Parts: sequence; C-alpha cells; structure tokens
Amino acid sequence: MRSNYTVNASTHLRVLSDSQLEEIHYAVLEVLERTGVDVYHDGALDLLKKAGAYVSGNNVRIPSAMVEAALKSSPSRVTLCTRDKRRTVLLEGYNFHFGTGSDCPFIIDLYTGQRRKFTKKDVAEGMKLCDALPNIDFVMSMGLISDIAPPVSDRHQFEAMLLNTTKPIVFTAHNRAGCEDILAMSAAVAGGIEEVVKDPFICLYAEPISPLKHMYEAVDKLIWAGENRIPVVYTPCIMSGATAPATLAGAMVSATAETLAGLCIHQIVGEGAPFIMGGVYGIMDMHTTIFTYGSPEFMLMQSAVSELAHFYRKPVFSTAGCSDSKVLDEQAAIEAALSILLAAQSGGNLIHDVGYLESGIVSSFDMLVMCDEIIGMVKRIVRGIEVDDETLAVDVIHKVGPGGHFLAEEHTMRHFRSQTWFPSVINRQRYEEWVNSGSLTLRERVTSKAKAILAEHVPKEVSGKAVDEVQRIIRSAEDREL
Amino acid sequence: MFDFETLAQSVISGDVRKAEELTKKAVSEGVSPLDVINKGLIAGMEVVGQRFKKGDMFVPEVLIAARAMNAGLDVVRPLIADTDLKGMGTVVIGTVKGDLHDIGKNLVGMMMESAGFKVINLGVDVSPERFVEAVKEHDAQIVGMSALLTTTMLVMRDVISALKESGLRDKVKVMIGGAPVTSDFAKEIGADGYAPDAVSATDLAKGFVA
Repeated sequence: MRSNYTVNASTHLRVLSDSQLEEIHYAVLEVLERTGVDVYHDGALDLLKKAGAYVSGNNVRIPSAMVEAALKSSPSRVTLCTRDKRRTVLLEGYNFHFGTGSDCPFIIDLYTGQRRKFTKKDVAEGMKLCDALPNIDFVMSMGLISDIAPPVSDRHQFEAMLLNTTKPIVFTAHNRAGCEDILAMSAAVAGGIEEVVKDPFICLYAEPISPLKHMYEAVDKLIWAGENRIPVVYTPCIMSGATAPATLAGAMVSATAETLAGLCIHQIVGEGAPFIMGGVYGIMDMHTTIFTYGSPEFMLMQSAVSELAHFYRKPVFSTAGCSDSKVLDEQAAIEAALSILLAAQSGGNLIHDVGYLESGIVSSFDMLVMCDEIIGMVKRIVRGIEVDDETLAVDVIHKVGPGGHFLAEEHTMRHFRSQTWFPSVINRQRYEEWVNSGSLTLRERVTSKAKAILAEHVPKEVSGKAVDEVQRIIRSAEDREL
Repeated sequence: MFDFETLAQSVISGDVRKAEELTKKAVSEGVSPLDVINKGLIAGMEVVGQRFKKGDMFVPEVLIAARAMNAGLDVVRPLIADTDLKGMGTVVIGTVKGDLHDIGKNLVGMMMESAGFKVINLGVDVSPERFVEAVKEHDAQIVGMSALLTTTMLVMRDVISALKESGLRDKVKVMIGGAPVTSDFAKEIGADGYAPDAVSATDLAKGFVA
C-alpha cells in the first residue's frame, strides 16, 4: 500500500492557468454585453431579441446570463462517426484527432510539382490518401474545385469526399440549400436522415467575419445545423493586429466573443444541439500582411483556445500541420512539427488544416503524408513514460546483470513493440545503406509513399443504389442553380 | 533655416501631433508650402517606404506614418493652388456584392492613401451600380475590387460589364485582388491588373497613373 502517489499518464502542457482562463472568459462576457456583435440575419435578430439580447439595428448586445445559458445547454462532447457508423472521433476532454483543411484554391501537383488549381479529381484523390493514412482521423475537402460551376461546387466536393473515404467529413457549403443537399446525400448513404443524426459522419463548418461580424450565410448555416441537429464547427479566423487586437489575450477575447455569439444563436434554435467551438487564431504578418499559419504566436493561441474550450467543457476545433512555406521544405517541416506537437499536447479535439502550405492557399499531398508521420511521432511523445513494477524492470536488470544485454530477453520481447514508435518515411539507415537505396530525401520518400497509396488503396465503396441517389441530388441541384 | 529633417522625422516616427505642429511652424516662418511637402512630409514618407521594403518597419508603423504625413498635408493644402499639388489620382475601392470581407481591401486603401492617392472606400457588399456611380461622382481613374470567396469573385465580371455599359470602361483602369483571385482570372474577366498584396497593389496603381 502507498498514498499520495501521482502519475503522469501523458506529457503535459499548459499555456494559461485556470485564473487566466477565467479572466479571459469574463472579458469575453464583457465584450458581448458592452460592444456586442453585428448580425446580418433578420430571423436571428428576432430570435436574439426575444431571448433577451439588446438589439439595435444589426448590433446585438448579449447579456452574460444568456451566454452562460447557451454554454450550459450545449453538450460537453460530440461524437463523429465513420460513414459505416463506427464511433471513432470522440470530441471530449483532451482527446485529439487530426484531419485535413478545406477549400484551398491551389494544389501542388504530386506528379509535376506544379502549383495549379484544384480539380474534383484532386479532391477525390486527396480523400483516398486520407482514407489510407493511419493518423488522419477525419477529412475536410483540401481543395476548392475549379472545374465545376461555383454555384454547385459544394455538392460535387462533398460527393468526392463521400465516395472516397469512410472517415468523418467536416464539410463546407455555399448556403442553406447546399447544406440540405449534402444532408440528403448523406442520408442516401446512411439510410435516412435520422441515421445521420444518431451517428453523425458529417459536420458543418461555418465562420464569422472578424471582428465581431456574423454574415447572413454563416448565421443561416448555424440555424440550419441547430434545427437539424447536425454538428457544426463555428470558427473565427482572426488576424491578431489586424482583425483583432495585437495582444494575444485581446485577440482571444475578441475571437471567443464571436464564437459564443454564434453559440447563443445556435442554442436558441437547437437547444442541446452539437456545437464545436473554433479556432483559427493567428496573427497578421506585419511585413507581408499574410495570415500566418506557422508563427509561434499562432501555435500558442491554438493551444490557448483548446485550453479555453476545456475550461468551458466544450469540444474544440484546432489547427496544425500547416505552414507559410510555398513548398514542402525545411520551413514546412519545422512549422508542421511544432504545431502538431503543441496542438496534440493541448488536446485540440478536432485539429484541422494538416497538409496546408502557403498560409492556407495550397494543399499538398506530400505535406499531408509528412504530417501523418509527424503525428505518429507526436502520439508517441504524448503517451509519455509508463512507470510501474513491470516497466521499472528491476528483475530483468538483475537477471542480465553488469555487462550483459537485453536484446533477447523475454521482457524486451514483451515490451519493445508497444514502447517504440516505428517510422515509415523517417530514415534511420546507415550512410552506405542509404546511398545504396537511392539517397532519397524525405521529400522524395513522402512523394513516393503518396503515389503508392494512390495506386494501391481502394476505399470502402458506397452501394450502387446510394451512388445513384447522390448523383440524382446533384443533378437536381444543377437544374435549380445553373 | 527651417529644420526639414525634424519634420521628416516626425512623419517617420508617426508622431501626428508633432508633424502638424512643425508644419504650422514652417508655414508661420514663411517656408514655401511645396518645400514643406517635398523636403519634409514626403521625404519622411519615402524613408518609411524604404525601411518597410527592407523589413525594418512594419505595416502599422507605415499606416501611422501616413497619418502623420496627412496631418501635415491638411495644414498646407489650403495654401496651395490645386494645380501645384497634383495628387496621384483617385481610386474607388470596394469588396464586391455578396462578400463582407474587408481587411485586405482596407489595407490596400490605406497603403494607396499613404502613397498619395485619394481613396474612395465603398466598403463591403458593393453592387456593380454603386461602383459605377462612385466612378462618375469622384471622377476616378482607378477601380479596385476585392473578394475572398470564389462564389463572389465572379461578381467582378459584372462590375466590368456595368462600367462598359455606362461608357466608363475606357476611362478607368480596373484592378482586382483577394485570396482566390489570380492574374489569369484578371485577364479572363478583362481587368487591367491583379495584385497579390497591398504594396504591389499600390505599385500597380502608380503604374496606371504614371
């Protein structure tokens, strides 16, 4: 027997203390009550007014009690499932899951290395890649397809995702009609809308415009998600110094006020409906004016927003595995590795944008495969060091004694596989061996791994009947919209 | 002899009050208004531009410096004939209809102002008709359009059509920008130019009026 024994079952990271998180929370409430937000949706303005907010024109000042009620009514956890109804992505506590980002206008072609516009085929191939990569738990489209008429591109993008992976899909849609079609397509595969709601494999993405503006389409999507009880991510993309204060704490306050205003609207229409708070909290680079995806401030705030979500006991959408570099190079590797480690350490539940280059303008299959490897490494780091009688290994140390070796011990056999992470594209060969196998750099190795997956992997198919229905929905959207 | 160096320095350091005070002092000492502008205010702003390009100064500092320069300009402007103070020209800018994103467009506007353009910022969600009205009303030489969404960037084409229909297309240069916008897209819709950021947008605009 013993007492007062503590265990670190994983590594730990805290950027903000409980007192600091509480202070940020109070500042958020004060901003919502004093400055409020602008909402460009008449229906939502009516709802907010009836619920007790102070509405003046488009401006809505939200009393703290209303925000706290919304925080109370929304669930502390959301489960996302695979297309075949396995409940794989549990968004709760410090659980973390990685996935791709959405809607980049450009791709770096895996075969030519050229930067070019995204096509529907690229989205399909990207999804196939994600389907095979072991450390990618959910998907977003990666690219915005350019070879389909924009009014219906969201339906085609979703079709390419739906048919090429079973992993949970976080989707974007142009508007409510797009959301409805996508839900209908999902229902065709799942066997009805209720099946989608019970074991959701889709989650809507929507965002306010910073600072503190909620445009019609975004609000309408929130309302749609609340009414239909489809999980929704509402995520401000702030640029500290430009669309939010230059101080990181102030930027977090402003962004979180946007999120919680969205939560209030969402919970009024769909009390208890699943809501995931966001996070793409970054800075504007004051020389180039880009929104950085690789700055240390970005990584710090991604950790901090996850901590804030844990403080609220709400699921959180985080960001990592992305870079400001134009191609997969050393900079991309540094930024991806640090951001993935920090996001995982902070328990960002749904960590997206893995594979982004050029500050979110480009998605790259190479980068995605490299990040999958980094996530593997990071998962091992986060697991920490297990300490008990068996792992302390006093008996086997005694048995081997001074001068022996542990290679062929049963204790080693029992543990080395679970203690160790085994690399796939990281190279540990000796020099001669490396030369003999072609002197390949990491970039070459990830490229060939991506090509091999695309050549070999076959995602689980959707039934022919469901595919027909999905395509019928798309055709009918085309008839209406084009 | 008036100390132009200190006046330029007040612009460089973005000291609005000092720039205004020193300009007033120069005027009361009988310094020629054009000298105040060229040897003091603009000279300071040129240093800011060079330092920015080298990476020694950053966007907020450039914007505050421009504010200081403009504070000085406001003092001397009434003292000189319009013909002597030839501005760079007038630019009408806005985010196109259906799109409410405005930080990028605002940055372009501020950068252009700091380069001496008169900027008419129409804000966000701007219809083709409003672009046309503003060009007429302000006798603009340049139209700048912004969009962040692929769905709304298509509206840029409508603005160009509206300019054609009202007979203004040949009188203005049209430039476009925004995350999904490319130079190919600019060519495709018949715009005169595309710029990826605020600094190159300003350079592009300077080229149009040169």
